Amino acid sequence: MTTTTDHLLTIQDFQDGIRRAKEGVKKQPGLMRSTAGFFDMLATYVDRIANAHDEGKLVATHGTQQPLEIFEAMDIRGVFNEFWGGVGDMIRLESVPEALALSASTGTPGEVCSFFRNMDGLMHAGKWPKSDMFLYATSVCDNVKAFHTLGRRYGIPSFGLERSYLPYTDHAMEHWKNEYKRLIAFLEEQTGKKMDYDRLKEVVALSYRLTELHLEIDKLVASVPCPLAPECYSGTLLAIRLLPGTQKAVDYLEELRDELKERVEKGIGAIENERFRVMWSSFTPFFDPTLQSFMQKKYGAVSVCDMLSHWRGDAKWMLNPDDPLGNLAYRTLLAPGNCQYSSAVDVATNLADKVRRFKVDGAIFNNNWGCKTGAAYGPILKDELMRQVNMPSLIIHCDVLDHTFISRAEIESQMDSFFEMIETSKAYKERRNPK
Amino acid sequence: MNAPLKALDEMIRLTSPFPESVTVKEWRTTGRKVIGWFNPYVPEEIIHAAGMLPFEVTGNNEPVEMQGAEAQIYSNSCSKIRTCWQLQLDGKYRFLDGLVSSHMCDQDMRLFEVWSYYNKLPYMELIYAPRKRDEVGVQLYLKDLEVFRSRLSQYLICRIPDEHIANSIKVYNRGRELMKQLYELRKRERPPVTGAEALEVSKAAVRMPRERFNELMEQLLDEIERTGREIKKAMRLMLIGSDLHNSTQIANLETLDAVVVVDEMDIGIRRAWGQVDTKLPPLEALARHYVLGRPVDKHNWNSDGRLEFIGELAEQYKVNGIVSQIVRFCTYNGWDKFDLKKQMQERGIPILEIDLEYGHPAGAQVKIRAEAFMEMLESHAT
Repeated sequence: MTTTTDHLLTIQDFQDGIRRAKEGVKKQPGLMRSTAGFFDMLATYVDRIANAHDEGKLVATHGTQQPLEIFEAMDIRGVFNEFWGGVGDMIRLESVPEALALSASTGTPGEVCSFFRNMDGLMHAGKWPKSDMFLYATSVCDNVKAFHTLGRRYGIPSFGLERSYLPYTDHAMEHWKNEYKRLIAFLEEQTGKKMDYDRLKEVVALSYRLTELHLEIDKLVASVPCPLAPECYSGTLLAIRLLPGTQKAVDYLEELRDELKERVEKGIGAIENERFRVMWSSFTPFFDPTLQSFMQKKYGAVSVCDMLSHWRGDAKWMLNPDDPLGNLAYRTLLAPGNCQYSSAVDVATNLADKVRRFKVDGAIFNNNWGCKTGAAYGPILKDELMRQVNMPSLIIHCDVLDHTFISRAEIESQMDSFFEMIETSKAYKERRNPK
Repeated sequence: MNAPLKALDEMIRLTSPFPESVTVKEWRTTGRKVIGWFNPYVPEEIIHAAGMLPFEVTGNNEPVEMQGAEAQIYSNSCSKIRTCWQLQLDGKYRFLDGLVSSHMCDQDMRLFEVWSYYNKLPYMELIYAPRKRDEVGVQLYLKDLEVFRSRLSQYLICRIPDEHIANSIKVYNRGRELMKQLYELRKRERPPVTGAEALEVSKAAVRMPRERFNELMEQLLDEIERTGREIKKAMRLMLIGSDLHNSTQIANLETLDAVVVVDEMDIGIRRAWGQVDTKLPPLEALARHYVLGRPVDKHNWNSDGRLEFIGELAEQYKVNGIVSQIVRFCTYNGWDKFDLKKQMQERGIPILEIDLEYGHPAGAQVKIRAEAFMEMLESHAT
């Protein structure tokens, strides 16, 4: 069987695609001003990776739950494997299915997560950004084993952070901090440079500023009508997950915050007639980048929050400015998306809190084919959201990246019934027309 | 035709019907408790030291029809955990007083959660299973074992003392030693037991009091020596991959001119491997054994050691071929597939890869593939 590779994305394609999008949004009326800043931030992220080796910097492909501030302080450019798939879909939808087919041709089963199969396929084709190391951590996802496996296959050194299951005990916090010290020792060995702890403090302080901005933005997004449009929906998530500890990310979130503030003051919503406020109780539909816009147009359904993009509690993680590693150890435990590592009831309780704060009308759970965690905690989230906050859920069985797994028509058919059901529900009517 | 082994028959009698067996019923009539456990990072010794019966939660020789399990665990998860959950829904595990699991894989962890959410038992505990085999991993695991001991003591309302754990370690070490002896006998040109029989022995070990199991193992080994039992088959196979509890799957394979002489399963050789150090403080000794003392497994990040272990075992047992059976949706085994095949090819060991639903008998398609594999092995041998 031959596998076509005509559409596989290279880093050059990422650069070109993001630049084109940045130019394109300037010509499109009605978009939020911050959309250009969003693409500018993405461009910065990708350019930093593309230029790293020319600038004498190393590139680390990494998974979720990483202390990116440590990389930043050591001038290491991170490539977040999940981002590469998600943003790849925004640039060229055909790339992922081709990469997955290539991965299958190496013997990797189709039942593992496509964030990793996409990486596997692109690496096999030589189109993954050239990486000097792989970094990963125990997380909610068993697929991180792929970093070691692929590292061995391609001769790339790797380091994994071992993380306790009960993260908030004293010994677990101390252990996690010690793991960061081991990570730094590994990075010092790879780069031949010592960690500059004064620089790390500065980076950590900038990262904390980013968290504060993120929390301010959350409060604005909770307004009715929701001021955040789909084109900027991923802005906070990507700032936090790609460029924490950088001025670029802070600048972008300040710009976004200011625009949202202005929109709230003027009563401008993402759409004119906001009918439904939607929470994605797992991830947003990376596999179908225009689905959120479609939902706005067809149903008046606005995305207001999701499980990956929000901090646990008030997220005051700067415990001691002179202990950057201690702060980071705590920060990564509170970080967006990290709550998945916890129990399903805890995840559901966090989601229920979002339902209240963001005044949600319906939850959508994307059950990713390759995600074993979602497969088992999805039903608990659904049941617990109903129990705690009387919130109905729609379950979409999909693949996190592969748009060919489920058709738009199928999703549309499920959404037709879902929104109709919400609209006729007593709870919805009471929320919309309180006595 | 070899006569059935009396000691094995007794093991099967005592562990039947599955899962609430003669043994479980007898145990509970005396008011003692049964604690279920899921995966190999739960040290049975601690449960045993508490005077409770550790019982591995699995499926068995019959496929389980899914009637409701998928409402709580979607079908894109491994069929082993769905099977276990279906058995719980069917009331088959109602005899459990508690459940212990480890964060060895997402799916085991989430089965624990589903159980905890939809059918909470009086005692439930989750332990971390380190991915790295080093001192840091040992210390991390040791802390969780201390918590496990402490909370089980609270449930028992009686401290589980070190001496009890030390005694349980001796009992389990004896069990490992006896099981290892059986594995050694299977190295013979004509092994004394089939792979299906060996699996029944391994299952009995985790379904009855270990003292009784040890007695029966001694009888079994004696019986084998006395009767000179031999299995005469042309091809020697090794079974690797996901844990298998349906021995008819192996028996079906062995209807061909082949016998399974060794495996690489958690339920099999890993349980027979090594000895817990009796000179160390008992919990530390357990932590060292469970993290470092057993062969590298599929959940360890650095799986190079696992692949080497498989290759070395295959050579020691002079196998003609390997059957790798993977329960669909197993992430760990999935990521080892590429390198496993490559390394076995380099060693000149043919490998048959089968993706199965847990507990289901190998269907006609698998049989055809197995027959073709046997033909290939025969031509390879000549």
